[in-house]
Amino acid sequence: MWLKLLGSIFVIITGTYIGFKLASRCSTRPQHIRQIISCIVSLKSYINYVSMPLPDALVKSTAGTEGPVSVFFRDTAALLEFNGWMNPQQAIKEVLGKMEDKLAIEKPEREILSLLGANLGSMNREEQNKYLNMIQEQLENIEQEAVKTRDQNSKMYKYLGVCGGLAVVILFI
Amino acid sequence: MGLDLLFKIAGVGILVSVFHTALKQAGKEDMAHLCTLAGFTLVLLWVVQLLGRLFSTVQDVFKLL
Repeated sequence: MWLKLLGSIFVIITGTYIGFKLASRCSTRPQHIRQIISCIVSLKSYINYVSMPLPDALVKSTAGTEGPVSVFFRDTAALLEFNGWMNPQQAIKEVLGKMEDKLAIEKPEREILSLLGANLGSMNREEQNKYLNMIQEQLENIEQEAVKTRDQNSKMYKYLGVCGGLAVVILFI
Repeated sequence: MGLDLLFKIAGVGILVSVFHTALKQAGKEDMAHLCTLAGFTLVLLWVVQLLGRLFSTVQDVFKLL
């Protein structure tokens, strides 16, 4: 009897934990997108007005941001700096693959980031500026959508987590 | 049988209604309906077994073939 009760409590706690984890991932997504936008804006300034080499510009653009987004840009910069044969797109793809579980971003942002890598450093300044502006706009649109889905989904994930745990307990008891 | 199954069915009903509300609020009506259907099927499986027992008891009582 006590063993059953203990098991049930564990199952409910696990369900709740999974629900809250998914909800927190959902709520950090807009924050991460916002940080990426701010990094891209400062990267744009470093490319346009300072003409800094890409790895340095990537590191400098993370000033003021913390967490996985900052690590993402810094890792990309490090890869570019120490592997001369690598182009920005390859570096971004590799770092994205490594940080899949830390960065709370979904498929559209991933695609945009790898597009960003495809055109960084391969055009002249004006073209890069235009391109970065476009990417910034797209990310802003995605951020608005992410805020909407966060409001809807984070509550749902919490409910589903708790109720899922309870449902499993009812089924197995 | 006892009241166990009755309470189980009540619990599943309550949980399914909560699932339905949460999914509907998140704009996932299709998933909400799917969830309700899954709950209904689960309860139906339990009830069908009992119904089978009821029919066999009736057969035994009235000595039907």
